[in-house]
Amino acid sequence: MIPAPFPPWARAEALGASMPEFASFQDEPPQMSSGTVGKTGFLRLGFEHRSGKTILANLERRVPYMVQRALHCDEQMPDLACVFLITTTGCLLQGDRLALDITLGPRAQAHLTSQSATKIHAMDANYAAQSQTISLADDAYLEFLPEPVIPHRHSRFISDTQICVAPSATLLLSEIIQPGRKHHHLDECFGATVLSISTAAARSDGRALFAEKLVIEPRRYVMRQTGVMDSFDVFANVILCAPKDKAERIHARAGADVNFAEGLAFGACRLPNDAGVIFKVLGHETAQVKAKVREFWEIVRQEIIGAALPPRYLWR
Amino acid sequence: MIIENDGVEASSSTAFLSRMLQFGDSMFPIGAFAFSSGLESAIQEGVVTDAATLRAFARTALEQAARGDGIALIAAHRAATSGDVDILIRIDAQAYARKLSDEARTMSVRMGKKFTEMGVEVVGAPLLRTWRECIERSVTPGCYPIALAINFAVQDLPASQAFLVHQYGVSTTILGAALRLMKVSHIETQKILYELTGQAAGMYETAATARLSDMAGFAPLTDVLAAVHARAHVRLFMS
Repeated sequence: MIPAPFPPWARAEALGASMPEFASFQDEPPQMSSGTVGKTGFLRLGFEHRSGKTILANLERRVPYMVQRALHCDEQMPDLACVFLITTTGCLLQGDRLALDITLGPRAQAHLTSQSATKIHAMDANYAAQSQTISLADDAYLEFLPEPVIPHRHSRFISDTQICVAPSATLLLSEIIQPGRKHHHLDECFGATVLSISTAAARSDGRALFAEKLVIEPRRYVMRQTGVMDSFDVFANVILCAPKDKAERIHARAGADVNFAEGLAFGACRLPNDAGVIFKVLGHETAQVKAKVREFWEIVRQEIIGAALPPRYLWR
Repeated sequence: MIIENDGVEASSSTAFLSRMLQFGDSMFPIGAFAFSSGLESAIQEGVVTDAATLRAFARTALEQAARGDGIALIAAHRAATSGDVDILIRIDAQAYARKLSDEARTMSVRMGKKFTEMGVEVVGAPLLRTWRECIERSVTPGCYPIALAINFAVQDLPASQAFLVHQYGVSTTILGAALRLMKVSHIETQKILYELTGQAAGMYETAATARLSDMAGFAPLTDVLAAVHARAHVRLFMS
């Protein structure tokens, strides 16, 4: 194979070089350096609606990222292509770069998740980066609900997601961030050095819909401060891009509350430019937050597809 | 003994100061008093309960403003100084796209429009008229930090002062609402204001070297409170 001048994972490799919050972490790991085989993973998933169901029509992969085949295992939506994202190294280490490129053709329906929580290990050089592009054609429907991210102490992680969504398409994108292994060690609660998570969405003509950049730097900004994390530990950010009328109904049903006794706070707001809804959840424990995200997922599926959720996995 | 004043300081800076005081006044009629920036919900939900939590809540709001709107404001000041309306429109769209709650958007565009209109009436520079037209024709949403930057730029007031006025406004909006919403004294709110405004210069230094795409933040509980407020039955404030 003749190598292309710019491999499709070039964006993941370039991401951290220009971000000010990563300026002091440009040194290479003394172990395998960034960009070497086994450290830069790439996955291109192209879903298409063909003869009544969605298939994984296009698949390119580079270790440590991989998927196996699409399963049609959701009894509530038998045409839905379900894919589990696998990283063969099982976690993120310093110098790792992951690139994920997802495309859904017209009317394609897919569900993406990871096998288990993504651990981001402690770092003393460089950082880990992830670049994602998600492109949804007319009437496409994607649920991208990975398991939580667990940033270990002294970890540095950058994530950038670029979304291109048709006005009739639906994207449900969830990200659950734990404070660290808080029951393992005191330093593990908000012990990460820097987590930078950007998401931006646009229409196919380039018109910007919304953008969010969350930069979590516990040493610079106090996590327990009033209005930030307060007494909560786990944070979920759920983005829904959906047609305006349906998004409006979902927004009305999602609700909002702060409950210190139960250790749970959540709320949905309308995104700018009629892009959809953003739903945020804070909780003491991951299980509570995941349950709340699942409730929102259930509302979305009912309103958009008219289908119920599959029963919960016993071990998830 | 004759007590005598020892002459004048630089007269231009004195004139600038009076302009900054006028346009940075919390009583400047752009409707800031109608908003609490989430404080109303924070008090109802028991997030803010006393002077200490009020100070922390206001500090969070200031940090978010400095890391987000403050960067857009400095970029807009530079664009306004060179009279580049196209770049101003791009900056405005970016600032607007980062306001992820209805109430935050309403607050910013309402105050931005009013501030631009007041600028047209009081200062009357051509760029302010152009910007008002852009807002009226829905070419641009017209966020408050952009309006503030244009106003200061056309008066030759520096970006640093516009930034400080913006940060001051964030504090006084919350502290002014606090006096009406909770048991807190004028002495306590003034102490908080004194402490918080003392940090603005450091925040300016960071924002002044950032790119527009560096606009960032992290205050999830404040975001949740914005969602709670939009659904509250009893509301005194618009945010």
